[in-house]
Amino acid sequence: MSALELQSLLPQIILALGATTVLMLGAWYPSRKWILGGVVIALFAALSAGLMTPAVPEVGNLYSTGSYARFFVVLWSLLGALSLLLSLRYAEIHDLPGSEYCALILFAICGMSLLSAATSLIGLFLGLEAFTLVFYILIAFKREDSRGAEAGLKYLVMGAVATGFLAFGISLIYAASGSFHLPEAFAGLEQAGGMRPLGLAGWALMLVAIGFKVSLAPFHLWTPDVYQGAPAPVTGLLATGSKGAVFASLVPLFAALGPLKADLEQVLWLLAALSLLAGTFAALPQRNLKRMLAYSSVVHMGYLMIGLLVGGSEAHRALLFYLISYAFATLAAFGVLTSFSRVDDEPQEYADFRGLGYLHPRRSSLLAACLLSLAGIPPLVGFFAKFGIIAAALKGGYPGLAVIAVLAALTSLYYYLAPIVVLFMQQRDARQLRRGCRHEYFVLALCFSAILLLGVYPAPLLDLLTGILP
Amino acid sequence: MLASVLTEFPILSLLLWLPFAGTLLCLLLRHSALACRWLALLTTLSVLLLTVWLFACLPTESGWLLKEDYAWIPTFGIRYSLALDGISLLLVCLTALLQVAAVLISWKQKEHTALFYALVLVLETGIIGVFLATDLFLFYLFWELMLIPMLFLIGVWGHGNRVYAALKFFFFTLAGSLCLLLAIISLYLIHGEQTGIYSFAFESLLQTQLSSGMEMLLYLGFLLAFIVKVPLFPFHTWLPDAHTEAPAAGSVDLAGLLLKTGIYGLIRFAFPLFPNAAQQSLPVLAVLGLIGIFYAAWIAYVQTDIKRVVAYSSVAHMGFVILGLAAWNQLAWEGSLLLMVNHGVTTGGLFILIAMLQDRTGSRDLRVLGGMWKTLPFFSAFFLLFCLASLGLPGLSNFAGEILVLLGTFSRWPLLAALAAAGVVFSAAYMLRVVQGVLWGPLGQICKIGDKDCLHEDLDRREWLLMIPLGLLVIWLGLYPAPVLEPMRGPISLLLKAGGLP
Repeated sequence: MSALELQSLLPQIILALGATTVLMLGAWYPSRKWILGGVVIALFAALSAGLMTPAVPEVGNLYSTGSYARFFVVLWSLLGALSLLLSLRYAEIHDLPGSEYCALILFAICGMSLLSAATSLIGLFLGLEAFTLVFYILIAFKREDSRGAEAGLKYLVMGAVATGFLAFGISLIYAASGSFHLPEAFAGLEQAGGMRPLGLAGWALMLVAIGFKVSLAPFHLWTPDVYQGAPAPVTGLLATGSKGAVFASLVPLFAALGPLKADLEQVLWLLAALSLLAGTFAALPQRNLKRMLAYSSVVHMGYLMIGLLVGGSEAHRALLFYLISYAFATLAAFGVLTSFSRVDDEPQEYADFRGLGYLHPRRSSLLAACLLSLAGIPPLVGFFAKFGIIAAALKGGYPGLAVIAVLAALTSLYYYLAPIVVLFMQQRDARQLRRGCRHEYFVLALCFSAILLLGVYPAPLLDLLTGILP
Repeated sequence: MLASVLTEFPILSLLLWLPFAGTLLCLLLRHSALACRWLALLTTLSVLLLTVWLFACLPTESGWLLKEDYAWIPTFGIRYSLALDGISLLLVCLTALLQVAAVLISWKQKEHTALFYALVLVLETGIIGVFLATDLFLFYLFWELMLIPMLFLIGVWGHGNRVYAALKFFFFTLAGSLCLLLAIISLYLIHGEQTGIYSFAFESLLQTQLSSGMEMLLYLGFLLAFIVKVPLFPFHTWLPDAHTEAPAAGSVDLAGLLLKTGIYGLIRFAFPLFPNAAQQSLPVLAVLGLIGIFYAAWIAYVQTDIKRVVAYSSVAHMGFVILGLAAWNQLAWEGSLLLMVNHGVTTGGLFILIAMLQDRTGSRDLRVLGGMWKTLPFFSAFFLLFCLASLGLPGLSNFAGEILVLLGTFSRWPLLAALAAAGVVFSAAYMLRVVQGVLWGPLGQICKIGDKDCLHEDLDRREWLLMIPLGLLVIWLGLYPAPVLEPMRGPISLLLKAGGLP
């Protein structure tokens, strides 16, 4: 690797080296203050990605350093920094080791940034595994918590199977096309002749793995248990960053797909429709906020699949906008859960929230705003995001999916309103939960302003996304 | 001087965002219930003054009187464009008036006062926005913005089965709204493909060429959203629950304003955008309106909860309005819109009176109430006045609207008009039953003469202040509706012409 390539990959290197440093120093000076150090490192990485011009457009035929990739480095670093800030008090209360936690989150951000920058199938695999491995640990981070251990094991077993599928799929595509590098791999697949079915089989296996990672139906069954068992700030990052990074890497992948897309179309259609329906129906009876958010995330992944299926720059822009709006709302929702959590338990059953809206008005209102944004109620950003996806589906000639999406949005109100009803429209018999602290309020306020401002005035972000799309 | 102020100063935006500023202030001052109360009153009063001033100053022309237009989200061709014509001016006036009433009637609101007034004020922004927006995206935004505050008003401060009623209201209207959204996006895309310019501006979308099948499909999307809100006969089932369980302010806003947004959407957007489909649907609308008149009257007659009676009477009145619109001529439309305004005032007044009654007796049940004339003479006088206005007594407000609707309808469908005229008798039947059950007869079961609980205070100063203007308005609108009809005349003839009728 030349110095120029190292300079181009500097943000990711900052993250990886920073994580290692924190981990090493933490062994000698154990302290929870390392988490703040992690915030600084993540912000530093975001700054370097945002301000620096990379010297080479692509590093080692693996990772792009274009504006698209750098945008996502900034985004994931910011999300990571926010979830680290959220974890500060949480780590204290639950007695989590600070430097290890911080280093793992930084590694996860690094993996997500690499994944969104991947330009070859190998790069994709490496990035994906980098953060999946970290999440195996993070999900079960509370050692004495049996639910956490169950969730971690579940994620590990399912994730290992998915990794197997991914590796096998990539190898089949490589066998058929003779290249790992993205445009060549697909072009090679076109000219593969007799090997083409092999390549398509490889694609099918890859879709299974991707479906698992972003929890598309029918590969979504791990989601509720893992969401429920993992510590709330980790779930926040898992729900936003890890799924988002996979979609961010899929956008250039599908843009490079070319005529091959016609073969995948029906499968993608089915995945999208199935996710919308299965997620909706499974979310309806939930009485646990984390599980409900898990199933509802399946629905959101269905919306994102629509954007991917329709293709073209407008649909992809709608997809990215949706991704960002989903990320902020979801992170804020888990942020509220984090800030409510006490030593002995994390409130997540609806019964824990009864009448809480008048006991903790600010955080409850924020939670309500997040849920309404996820449901797509204007003027919150979720509405504009859904609008973009539905408009793209109609324009791209998928009226059936658009109708399913609208019906899912209507039904989603039922499960999103249920916690709001519990929060504000039931008699107060909830116990007082933990008072928030400044860091948490800062993060929540930031997310709330993003949800509101992007909803009222999305034009700058749309322009930015138009600019960075490959 | 005045004209320059009107054109240069963004007065429509002021009108729209003033209540919203009040909301934010309310949330800031949330620890002082007193401050919030006065703040809400001050905000709604200044909006009212502003609209009355506009009503007095603006000329009665047929086109747009005021306009504002700014780029908002250029990527999608979405603009922030507001416009005001005679019809929207009247409806904005009605909104401002009823919002003041809503604040005054909930003056003693003790639970979560700040949130309550904040929601009432947001609701006002949403409603005014619906009446002013001319960009379809913006319109949809405000259309949805009305839902959340109403959901909370019913769900948090409502009576009895409030969560059920709130969710029912929410889902009915949202289901309609999403059809509207699909139709708006489809229209936007079709227009964009035809002209190459993607825009949500109403005036550009008017130029879209549609095949007749597509036109009907999109029209149905619009129609569904609007007639659920109106509500027209088979879609009315959310209304009695929502009206009954809502707190007083919520009922006033629902009946007085939210129903009107449905009618407004029909005449402003659905009919002009899809003129041919609209023409085909008119007989169906007329028959459904007629069914609504009788069906609602029939159901209203057997209700024991007076709020429910008034709720069903709203359905019947809206049936009249739709019937008038379906007749599609100047006279009937003037009657319909006048009836719409009148219904807002009379039904709003009735809900206010019922809230006062419930405050004093703790009941709305016809079987329990009775003899109020003896204990609360002034209250009873107002109650009688509004009930008579509601049943369409000549000389009081609703009559003027109903007679115009009937005359207009007669020239197109004599049979339907004749049948509808009989509906007036029905409405007399159920309203008089309410009057009899509440005001006359022996004192109700809940109190015996001499019982201390029975000595309720008659109207206090705040209530007088509230009822006198409304009462005068009811009489004035009944005797001399010309000032209200005048500004609507031009816009109505424009709308009728744009509809493509001879």
